[in-house]
Amino acid sequence: MHEVSIAQSLIEIAIDNCIKQGYKGIEVIRVKIGKASGVVSDSLLFAFEAMKAGTIAEKAVLIVDEIPVSGFCNSCKMTFTVEEKYVLSCPKCGGVSFRLDTGRELNIDEMEVF
Amino acid sequence: MKVKLATNILEANDRIAAENRKIFKDAGVFVINVMSGPGAGKTSLLERTIQELTGKIRIAVIEGDIAGSDDALRIEKLNTPVVQINTGGGCHLDANMIREVMDDFPLKDLDLLIIENVGNLVCPAEFNLGEDMKVMLLSIAEGHDKPLKYPLMFQESSALVLNKIDLLPYTDVDIEKMRKDSLSLNPKLKIFEVSCKTGKGISEWTDWLKSLVK
Repeated sequence: MHEVSIAQSLIEIAIDNCIKQGYKGIEVIRVKIGKASGVVSDSLLFAFEAMKAGTIAEKAVLIVDEIPVSGFCNSCKMTFTVEEKYVLSCPKCGGVSFRLDTGRELNIDEMEVF
Repeated sequence: MKVKLATNILEANDRIAAENRKIFKDAGVFVINVMSGPGAGKTSLLERTIQELTGKIRIAVIEGDIAGSDDALRIEKLNTPVVQINTGGGCHLDANMIREVMDDFPLKDLDLLIIENVGNLVCPAEFNLGEDMKVMLLSIAEGHDKPLKYPLMFQESSALVLNKIDLLPYTDVDIEKMRKDSLSLNPKLKIFEVSCKTGKGISEWTDWLKSLVK
């Protein structure tokens, strides 16, 4: 359940920025979570609901954009996207030399404040 | 009103980890973060490692557990400085917990600091502590499907210690598949096969570890 730590961090970042910029509260927080990041979206949503109580984010809705694992194959020079949370070889040519471009994200993207 | 943030959620942890790393580097101590599921044999590996390297390099240990100090007591018996961190339910150590206990050691008088993380094959992989190297332990009895089920820890680690190889005759585990999948996830992974019970393979592991410690 490291999602509790992640939820706590993202709420802190959002509240800090909200106060610094002179706003009163947060309505929406949007995060980008890579499928290979090790974070389970449902657990994060659950932890967020528990952690936001009593803060200026208590009415906030958390929107999770799941980012698939994608990369570029050095053999066939094609980009690929997979359903799994890992890549062992290029799904197009089977080559084992590739670069991963997305899937490890753990970012707080934007928020809506009032 | 929309506010763009585009910030890594673990930025605060990574910042403290970077500070820890600098403190350790300045003190000249090499730090490893040992991770595994519960019961893979982390504390047994630490005991074997300390016994093998005593008198050659100066070692201290940070023990991370949800509760209790059983592991720290085992290390203390080997006359090795040890600090116990109890996370009180938390499933991993984070950089700030390390920061809070690091002053308990005379860092300048150490060569190697071993951090034993909370037993968990998922969460610890996500949190940098300021270590020089992550090492993961997997006991062969856990099964050869583990690399592909828990890829992140295999990808984050520099070394994989396969423990309990004395149990090989009693299991159906395919150790070659375990090695192959681990290396596919992380081609740079250094793999050791050991038995903390019999001591087999331990010196290969400790020789390598010692070569990394300045």
